[in-house]
Amino acid sequence: MKKEINTKNKDFLTTLFKEYYFKNLGLLNPPIQMPNREFGFMTFDGKVIRHLSFSKLGSLKAYIIQNVPSDIFCSNAYYQFPTFPINEKGWKGADMIFDIDLNDLLLSCQKEHTFYICSNCNVVSRDYINQCYKCHNTTILKNTIPCFRCITSLKKETKNLIEFLKKDFGIQEKNLEVSFSGNTGFHVVVCQDNYMLLDSKSRSDVAGYLMGRNLTPESFGVRNDKGGYRIKIPLSGFSYGWRKRIVQRMKIPVSSDHLNKFIKKIGGYPSFKNEIDKIASEIGVKIDPQVTTDIHRIFRMVGSLNGKSGLSKTICYDLDKFDPMTDSCFFENDKSVDISINIPLKFHIKGKKYVLDKSISSVPVSVAVFLISKRLANVANYSS
Amino acid sequence: MSIILGKDDLAKYPFLEEAGTYVRESHFDLDDFNRSEFLHIIERASKRIEFALIQGKVFMDLEKYDIELFTFLVSLIMMKYIYEDSAIKKFSLFEAIRVERFLISDLLKEKDLRKKNLLISRIFRELFQLDVDLDTKKNNLFKMNISNYLDRATQFNEIEWKLINRAVDNGYVYLDVDETVRLIRYEIYKLMYNKIKNMNITKIPEQIRFHATLIKNKLIPTIKYTKNTTDLPPCIKKALEFLNKSENLPHSARFMLATYMLSLGKSIDEVVSLFQNAPDFNEKITRYQVEHLAGKKGSQTKYSVPACSKLVNENLCYATIDCKGITNPIQFGRNRK
Ligand code: SF4
Ligand SMILES: [Zn+2]
Ligand SMILES: [Zn+2]
Repeated sequence: MKKEINTKNKDFLTTLFKEYYFKNLGLLNPPIQMPNREFGFMTFDGKVIRHLSFSKLGSLKAYIIQNVPSDIFCSNAYYQFPTFPINEKGWKGADMIFDIDLNDLLLSCQKEHTFYICSNCNVVSRDYINQCYKCHNTTILKNTIPCFRCITSLKKETKNLIEFLKKDFGIQEKNLEVSFSGNTGFHVVVCQDNYMLLDSKSRSDVAGYLMGRNLTPESFGVRNDKGGYRIKIPLSGFSYGWRKRIVQRMKIPVSSDHLNKFIKKIGGYPSFKNEIDKIASEIGVKIDPQVTTDIHRIFRMVGSLNGKSGLSKTICYDLDKFDPMTDSCFFENDKSVDISINIPLKFHIKGKKYVLDKSISSVPVSVAVFLISKRLANVANYSS
Repeated sequence: MSIILGKDDLAKYPFLEEAGTYVRESHFDLDDFNRSEFLHIIERASKRIEFALIQGKVFMDLEKYDIELFTFLVSLIMMKYIYEDSAIKKFSLFEAIRVERFLISDLLKEKDLRKKNLLISRIFRELFQLDVDLDTKKNNLFKMNISNYLDRATQFNEIEWKLINRAVDNGYVYLDVDETVRLIRYEIYKLMYNKIKNMNITKIPEQIRFHATLIKNKLIPTIKYTKNTTDLPPCIKKALEFLNKSENLPHSARFMLATYMLSLGKSIDEVVSLFQNAPDFNEKITRYQVEHLAGKKGSQTKYSVPACSKLVNENLCYATIDCKGITNPIQFGRNRK
């Protein structure tokens, strides 16, 4: 996505991002096997720089302070030669990564807080547009300010994922890293030896498992037979994984007789199949499968700022208590900036409610960084 | 007391190290195969190969272990002489299925848990680095960790092998005997294939060469559609690719392929021979089915090629830009010069 940004805003964000990295360098944790990772950056002009390598945290920090990128990424993969082109890097394994994002949750509240913004002149619309009505530019950004309901749903989905990972995949707590992405989602990273070497095809199967895709009646021992059906309960029974979840939801005691009665009642094999599909897509985790399948991804680094929001990607030690708009916001509340906002807005930051109308307002730095990163406001006046 | 594999086991699993040791220690020389006492072994090896290559059947005969070990050795040498890659592939597959059947029945029948575990450890763990355990608390199911399962199962295209259709718990996949053994078919196949390919023999005994030549002459030249594949629709091409790699095709794909080839005017023989490489090829059954589709059996109606929309639903469509505007694979390429 092209992401031009006006100079005043850019200068403002650069100054503050730099200040953040000065004060909070401690938040940037070196990834495991740092010298074997690929690093990537995005500049405030929207350029992506990839295939870099830093053997020590110190040199990465120096690079960040010097260049002040808008976003910082680190590969989930481990390479022999991280700076080489993809096919020559010498892949040695990769963490399993999961992305739970508002985009995949399809919540009804989205309409109330989603904005369409012209990438050229920052005109904002609450309704979907594919072309700017002012400058006719067709690159339109879509931004959202997650509401309380959004955050609650994201957390619920994240917990669902964690439960699957622990119960079905045997992932140990200590090998799980859960974090807020800094914008509209949560990330889960699994760093456990026995999953490191899975190829892309296998990871896609894992993603399908989590999402509840392709579960068949045959897996329950129910077979299509000349328009009717036959039942032969599998030796491995219904006491594990998906079969257990589905059978519990259908409230069927495990026996051929009960299963038979149930299938007969709902109308045979095809209805049984539909019922399974329906329940599976309800219980399944709404992850972005492309992220999980990618074994060469550069993934946002914990402790770095998300250029789309100015919030930091933060580890959640206690998911229930975690409040993104407070715990991931590291900018000051006691200094003010004048900003002009492009549309009336209502939101919370650091426990305070803001209601802004369409004019110039004086707001704390924390609010200004957030709204400017979201492209919903412009700097009117700021002296550091 | 330590427990070891008996000679009867070696007869069924002649690729195990002990079998090789036995042959080596029997101090016999390749030239001995020219002696008349060995003729019946060579004939037996011929039969084993003909079963696979010509009749499409698995040779399930089991003799005393020394006869088995030498028969196995001779059939490998004969295949080396026959040389043709597609024949070696096919033979390797049928050998893999033979092993598969013995293994399934041994694992089901063996009462002695230590013996059973030994077999598992020798074949699964040592030969194929697949860590399998028998879970006596869970219905005697086999368990293996999820990544070991995925490494193998993602080679299969059938939906039943998707992880979601398996019993998964706490990092493990639970399988019954058949499924566990099926999972390593490809590895047994590769083992056989490599054994033949890597065999280094300077002089093949005359008697073996003679019998191998007899078989070679009986092999029908396999019809290859590799030349003009650009004219074939992507769905058909994909199915042929699978067959060439000796991978299993779902029934829906076989139906599509057979009806399509018949619609091109190919003969029953030609169509049957297309399926020769399928891991479970059985000439009689395949012939019956193809004749049925051609309207020569049963209802006497000729089956038509399924429509693209149906193939899309069955996950068989691999449409490219050239598929634009067609509703049935038979229309593919018609509008081009
Ligand atoms: S569009 Fe039709 S012809 Fe083309 S690949 Fe799909 S099924 Fe085959
Ligand atoms: Zn505009
Ligand atoms: Zn919301």
